[in-house]
Amino acid sequence: MIENFIKLKNLNWLFIFLVSFLSFVGLIMIYSATIGEESKIFISHIYKILFGFFLMILVSLIDLEFWKRNAYFFYLIGLILLILVFFYGYLGKGARRWINFLGYNFQPSEIMKIFLIITLAKFFDEKKIREPRDYLFLILPIILVTIPFVLILIQPDLGTAMLILFVSIVIFFMSGINWKFFFFSGLCTIIITPYLWGGLKVYQKKRILTLFNPESDPLGSGYHIIQSQIAVGSGGTFGKGWTKGTQSHLDFLPEKHTDFIFSMLGEEFGFLGTLSVIGLICLITYMAYDITGRFIHNNFNRMVGIGIISNFFFASFINISMVIGILPIVGLPLPLVSYGGSSMLTYFIGFGIILSLDRNQS
Amino acid sequence: MNREINHEKKIRRRTLVIGLSKTFFMLLVSVKLFYLQILQKSKYGKLSDTNRIKIKILYPERGTIYDLYNNEIASNKIDYQLSIFKDKKNLINRYINKLKGHINFSDKDLEEIKININKQDLSDFITIKRNLSWNDLEFFEFMKNKFPFLLITKEKVRNYDNEMIFSHVLGYVGFNKNIKKKKLSNLKVGISGIEKKLDSKLLGADGWIKFETNSKGIVKKELNKKFAIPGGNIKTHLVREIQEKAFNEMQGINGAVVMIDCKDGGVNCLYSSPSFNNNEFSDGVSRERWNELISDEYNPLLNRCIAGLYSPGSTYKLITALHAIENEKFGKNQTYFCSGHIQFGSRKFHCWKKEGHGKLDLHGAIMKSCDCYFYNLAKKIDIDKLASFSNKFSYGNVTGIDIPNELNGIMPNRNWKIQNRGEKWQRGETLNSAIGQGFMLSTPLQITLMTARIATGKNIIPSIIYKKRNFERLNISEENLNFIKKSMFSVVNDNNGTAYNSQLTGSLKMAGKTGTSQVRKITLEEREDGVIENEKLDYRLRDHSIFTCFAPFDDPKYSLTVVAEHMGSGSKVAAPISKKIMQSALKKFT
Repeated sequence: MIENFIKLKNLNWLFIFLVSFLSFVGLIMIYSATIGEESKIFISHIYKILFGFFLMILVSLIDLEFWKRNAYFFYLIGLILLILVFFYGYLGKGARRWINFLGYNFQPSEIMKIFLIITLAKFFDEKKIREPRDYLFLILPIILVTIPFVLILIQPDLGTAMLILFVSIVIFFMSGINWKFFFFSGLCTIIITPYLWGGLKVYQKKRILTLFNPESDPLGSGYHIIQSQIAVGSGGTFGKGWTKGTQSHLDFLPEKHTDFIFSMLGEEFGFLGTLSVIGLICLITYMAYDITGRFIHNNFNRMVGIGIISNFFFASFINISMVIGILPIVGLPLPLVSYGGSSMLTYFIGFGIILSLDRNQS
Repeated sequence: MNREINHEKKIRRRTLVIGLSKTFFMLLVSVKLFYLQILQKSKYGKLSDTNRIKIKILYPERGTIYDLYNNEIASNKIDYQLSIFKDKKNLINRYINKLKGHINFSDKDLEEIKININKQDLSDFITIKRNLSWNDLEFFEFMKNKFPFLLITKEKVRNYDNEMIFSHVLGYVGFNKNIKKKKLSNLKVGISGIEKKLDSKLLGADGWIKFETNSKGIVKKELNKKFAIPGGNIKTHLVREIQEKAFNEMQGINGAVVMIDCKDGGVNCLYSSPSFNNNEFSDGVSRERWNELISDEYNPLLNRCIAGLYSPGSTYKLITALHAIENEKFGKNQTYFCSGHIQFGSRKFHCWKKEGHGKLDLHGAIMKSCDCYFYNLAKKIDIDKLASFSNKFSYGNVTGIDIPNELNGIMPNRNWKIQNRGEKWQRGETLNSAIGQGFMLSTPLQITLMTARIATGKNIIPSIIYKKRNFERLNISEENLNFIKKSMFSVVNDNNGTAYNSQLTGSLKMAGKTGTSQVRKITLEEREDGVIENEKLDYRLRDHSIFTCFAPFDDPKYSLTVVAEHMGSGSKVAAPISKKIMQSALKKFT
């Protein structure tokens, strides 16, 4: 017990503050997004933040060794959940992503990201690739990535699937394998892209195509991109003021409390607001880098850290990029800011692991 | 060991690569945000405003037009209109199909919708139906929620209480075809008559309401509004009773009635028959109806008072006579014998009375309207001098009345003949001109003005818009004017006068002059066989019946002209109508 208190005292409270601050930004944006509607969403979000915070502290007290030991086990659980989703998943917004867990709708693909990161880290930690023939081993991690990737892709959840791919690439890269591997993988990707394209749903294809020319279909799939850009652009330098966004409050902006919350932030708090949030994201990312960077000799810790922080960073980057028209609308929440329980809890757990890393070091 | 260090270096390097690429990604995002929020702020700001702000143009209420006794002769009525959000125009057809069972859409409505859809104007609404009935409004009150993008508005539109009666003089309003004001496509502007002439005064200024709507087109609140400024009111000299009387008397007759106040030059009556319903235009006339009006053989859209051209006929003898005694030292007592025709050169000139009038002086010649006397008189005068004298009485010139499209007619002279016919003036043509036939053409307004100027000796200029004015005297001797006026008195009040049957009942006396305006040329053969009676001729070839007069004789107040197309001699139709109109005008005056 006393031991735990010491652990608590030694936590990186600055990092905790930054993470909390980002979720506080989310809270005030969700307040604005749901103003005038029923307050259920806002209240539920407060509970989720509090629960997530608790979870983060709890996880921070767990040593990394625990994760390393049980990595494959967790991976198996994640996989089973994803398969359950495939058969028994709850259908919403044209996708089968959620399963009901003790009365709560839960999205297994979120937690699977953490489990995959740990599993890959464990794999690369144990199997060091030194000789060219070692590359045969790569078949195993590729399969480890491919199974959840495909399961998530067919839900369909393009955003999370892409994120899993990005994060996996980062871990592969950090494992130190030869760059030629990435070169050939890239080549393969280019070759199979046309076949993948054929496998995409019509609405996904449309979304990707309208990214390049949103005005071509202003009332169809381009509508979201256009309205989101209008919201962000019309915010100007200082924004229209909290709860004063016209695009958001007059329902021109879709999904304003989830995927498009950043657009609303841009509209109500302007360039200063968006830049501050980006700054905050960068600061959290940098601090996490700084923490993981100390584990130069501990491959597992380092790869878990970089994997988790890349998960956070790329999710943020993809979300912001899609709402301002750099990437297609793939449907991915902004970490800690968007409304959505599974995603937020996963990021809190992730930051808990980072905190645990930091504690191990000190 | 060396390998370990290499590995370590590699890891550091790769951490750096990932860190740098993340920095690059975030820079990319920041640059895009800078572009959107700083550089393109005004563009997106405007777009977000166009999203939420919908503008409804408030059209101004047109000014009211009053008659001399302050009766409203052009006012406005409330028109409930149904509009739809412009950006929801793809719903129009679906809505119309849904509404069809409850609200009647005529072909005209549908035609109008088609035009309105493509209009590029300031308003964010498209009008889809005008003139909603109470039933329609009630229906919408119940069904409001089923049609969220529809809006009922109350507009004021032009309404003429006395449709048909003032159509030519007031004109009508219609949609703006002027490109400059195209932004206000539903604005109705004056197309003819007073409505056109004083359009800028009657128009007023438009206003607007800005609504804030959500993405579903539901109006959340009214942001701000600028009220329309109603147009100015106008008072005219027109008198509703006289105009109505003219309308009633001219039923079934094509022609014109013009009455001018001799005191102030005010136009009390300006009625052209057949008329048209100017309310039809105010509501928006359909293409078929327009084509029907345009191709009507009696041309109801023509304002005959100012643009109908007729030979003045015998009414012009007044000017010929006045010119002769005023400028040519022609003796009033000079007598000629009328045998029914005179020989001039190789041509024979006929009097309207085949058996002749016998011996006449000038007074008798005017009273009985003898043609032969004036042929003889015409031998002594020069056409150029007669023409320039006639100009003083507005013949050949526009009168300057305050409505557009007035014609100036023709007052021929030598120069005119050469320019327009390429021939030299024939002496015989002076004879025809002297009795108001031949090349001469005038408008009913010009004839009325002639009478008013003879009656007062003043250079009266007509005005429909109410003004108090004084006029300069014409440089003509009082004595000669009185001679002409007395002759006119005899026309009506002497039992030998051509309009004796049309004298006024009561103490007030009227003076006038009949005219029969020949439309065709009577051939030599026909003369010998006997001139065909008017009634037996084809309508288009019959003579026009003209009568011009003023009253009361002692203190001229009204000058009046009636032209009845193809109705035969002036005494038969135009004079009796004039009597009735003058009688009712004097009743109003006294």
